[in-house]
Amino acid sequence: MNRLAVTVLGIVAAVGFSGIVFIGVNKLFDLTEDRYPLYSGIAGGVLSGGVFALLWGNRMLESPVAVTIAAAIVGAAVGFALGTLEQSTQRLAAGIAGGVALGLLLGFSAPETVWPSLDPVGIIIGLLIGTGLGFLLWVVGGRQQSKMISRLFAGAAIGWLLGAWVATTLDGSRAEVIVVAVVLGGLIGVAIGGRPHPDQKERGEIAAGSRKYIFLAPALVFVTAALVIPLGRTIWLGFLTGNPRELTWTGLSNYTELLTDPGMINFGNLGGIVGSRLFWGAVLLLGLGAVIGRWLGRRVGMGFSAGGGSLTLLAAGMILLGFAVFTSLRGTIPNNLWWIFSVIIFAVSLGLAVAVLADRSKGENIAKSLIFLPMAISFVGASVIWRLIYVARPPQDPQTGVANALWVMLGQWSNSGTASAIVSLILALIVAGLLYLAWRAWQADSSAIVAGSLVISAVLGYLIFRFLGPGIGGFAVSEVTGEVIPDPVLFIQQGPWNNFWMMVVFIWIQTGFAMVIFSAAIKAVPGDLLEAARIDGATESQTFWRVTVPQIAPTIGVVVTTLIVTVLKVFDIPKVMTNGNFDTQVLANEMWQRAFTELNFGLGSAVAVLLFIGVLPVMAMNIRRMQRERLG
Amino acid sequence: MTNTTEKTRATATVSARRPMGNRIYRFLRSIPTWFLWVMVILWTIPTFSLFVNSFRTRDAQRGSGFWNALSDNANGWQFPTLENYQEVLFPDVGAGLGNALLNSASIAIVATIIPIAIAAFAAYAFAWIDFPGREWLFIATVALLAVPSQVALIPLLSAYSTGVALTLPVIGKTITVFPDLNLSGTIPAVWLTHTGFAMPFAIFLLHNYIAGLPKDLFESARIDGADHFKIFFRLVVPLSVPVLAAFAIFQFLWTWNDYLIALTMIGGNREALPGTIVVASLAGEFGARENLLTAGAFVITVVPVLVFFALQRFFVRGITAGSVKG
Repeated sequence: MNRLAVTVLGIVAAVGFSGIVFIGVNKLFDLTEDRYPLYSGIAGGVLSGGVFALLWGNRMLESPVAVTIAAAIVGAAVGFALGTLEQSTQRLAAGIAGGVALGLLLGFSAPETVWPSLDPVGIIIGLLIGTGLGFLLWVVGGRQQSKMISRLFAGAAIGWLLGAWVATTLDGSRAEVIVVAVVLGGLIGVAIGGRPHPDQKERGEIAAGSRKYIFLAPALVFVTAALVIPLGRTIWLGFLTGNPRELTWTGLSNYTELLTDPGMINFGNLGGIVGSRLFWGAVLLLGLGAVIGRWLGRRVGMGFSAGGGSLTLLAAGMILLGFAVFTSLRGTIPNNLWWIFSVIIFAVSLGLAVAVLADRSKGENIAKSLIFLPMAISFVGASVIWRLIYVARPPQDPQTGVANALWVMLGQWSNSGTASAIVSLILALIVAGLLYLAWRAWQADSSAIVAGSLVISAVLGYLIFRFLGPGIGGFAVSEVTGEVIPDPVLFIQQGPWNNFWMMVVFIWIQTGFAMVIFSAAIKAVPGDLLEAARIDGATESQTFWRVTVPQIAPTIGVVVTTLIVTVLKVFDIPKVMTNGNFDTQVLANEMWQRAFTELNFGLGSAVAVLLFIGVLPVMAMNIRRMQRERLG
Repeated sequence: MTNTTEKTRATATVSARRPMGNRIYRFLRSIPTWFLWVMVILWTIPTFSLFVNSFRTRDAQRGSGFWNALSDNANGWQFPTLENYQEVLFPDVGAGLGNALLNSASIAIVATIIPIAIAAFAAYAFAWIDFPGREWLFIATVALLAVPSQVALIPLLSAYSTGVALTLPVIGKTITVFPDLNLSGTIPAVWLTHTGFAMPFAIFLLHNYIAGLPKDLFESARIDGADHFKIFFRLVVPLSVPVLAAFAIFQFLWTWNDYLIALTMIGGNREALPGTIVVASLAGEFGARENLLTAGAFVITVVPVLVFFALQRFFVRGITAGSVKG
């Protein structure tokens, strides 16, 4: 029930309070044109009450409630008087009287801890600087005769405050604090009372000019308090060290500590890349792609042709190469880069494929809803879901996770003569079909399909070889009895691929996001463009690659940048699935552990700054794009 | 499907003499369209398996995969059972997820309402009030979209737990800017944090829509003597309901599903923990109560999924707005 009360209270406070303040402020400024004295009175009351409330909050008032209320009343009276009086001497008198009254109030209620001791040097310096600044502002502001007195005295008031109260020792007497406060009040009174009574036009300007502040202020306060200032503070904290209560400056040592830590980035295994099958597969594909590109290019009389055939192979080769690098180059930073690499490749390509295939097909909405559904699931929920899929039971027990159940089943098949024969036969049929497809595509001159089906045939051929030869899937041969026993994969514990199994969760979620955006973009491609391409005799795939893709290219850019930002700060999935163990650490979890488990704010901030540096290019791109759209 | 026929037409001249080959070729070329439905099945299995398993007993879950659920009943009625749900929801026996769900609701509802109002004001000002530097201020605000929340967590948490005091340089005096309200470990701290972090996206999304409202509308309203305040409440708010709904759903899902901010700001206060943290800590136990995990995960998932299905149209609009140049 307590919780319900908090919730209801929160809603009431959120809606009611902010609504009242917002509407109230708007209504207040509505008064300026027709009922200026009332506006001026309320503004004066709120202003002086607010200042005294601030002092109260800083424990600078004795019996604060009464004093604050009194200050608000005096402020309101002065405001009302200034809103009514038009003669300059009367206005000045009212301003000074009000200021002195407030000064007396402050002077008599200030506690002993804040009594300043008067220091003539400080006062003179303060007054000189303050008045000088006021004069400068007046000159810069257009030298309006009517504003001179108020600017000069406002500057003097600030100078007096700094010189006589702030920049001095606080061991004075009651008399001194009264003098300081009364003079301060008087100076402010002159500054306010010295302004002429605004005419109708000026009042209208106050009413109209205030709106932008009223509408923007709440949002900007939140943005500044929750993002801008903390960002600056985190950058600052990154240069400090020690426990949260006692931080000392250490320069760049947090960063050197991070970047020389082998846990963050470890080149030690990079040599192992030469022994990896991925690497040689990548070299092979890239080589083939280059050769085919060269060959296609010569047929059309160019050095190199980036046609479908060569691009398919080059892209596949680049993906393999990326995985080869990331499985050899280990550490937190490479892990994050690997996340970005795989999520972008798979989420974008799968999302685009689904968007294209679903477009105008039967059951489009159902298919899209179901693929989009994971977007609504929390990362925590998704992690739990996928742990069920990945769970590994002891070899002698039945596997309850889908992934291991399939893998172990595959192992059993490849060890049974009939099953492996049947599977090999099916695979061989598929290969035959693919080869036929490749041959037909060859005649029709579409090199992409040739290359694609040949690559898939090669992979399937390798599978057939494994089925008939050394075997495939989750099995092991017992050394004692020679029996074949199931051998499940520890998807979550076994590095480095456990990283990729966690990325699959993220891809599962983000594919829907990419799909929805691509789907909208594809539907927004002008129909007559596609029509024109078809009339000119373009095939469907040519229309797609030459018309649709260039049209949605900016959207692909948006999806990629959004994904970079989302993936870079991935936290929940590694936190819940492994908590960064088993070589799966990422920057966000590193930051959390350093800052909140070890309470090392300096190092934690340094990791956060690394994350921030990671998004800087994206930020720059976004700013450039918005500039082009809005200013250019 | 159009894909296939068009493509076949293109090669028809080559293959006119081979009807059988044509049929095989057409069949092979249609394989990609199956890919869509293969994806749909693959994408649905994980959620479905969670759903099924959450209704199975602990032994059944440990003993066999979800596809065996129907054979659980070989020795008497075992599937479906509500045991896991009973145990996970109520505090005296299980994890007390029931309380946590109330916390989740409290966080998500309030952290959705506050940003909508605040961001709508700002979006209106950026769209329809002229002032110098407007474009730059807007770009700067929206650019903060990319800032990872991690960079703000440490300063915000210390502000909530000890307040903010500013020590003036040179003279060395300290003034309190933000009082120590003992907010750390409480739900209001999460509200404030979510509100701040949501601002750039909310302003971006609402501004896109509000700036696109017809200009004549505002001009005629101004001629009729309406000021910004009236225009905002009488004109902009009613016309912007679709985008306000889009943002509301977005923010609701985001705050309901959030783990990082609640974990940081609430931390050890067991009374105030939302559902995601309770489920995540169940997951951290590795095995002991893993049957509760399925039910717990399903419970925290079902709310956003229902919201999502009911209001999908608005949600999609929210996601696509601004990223597609139509």
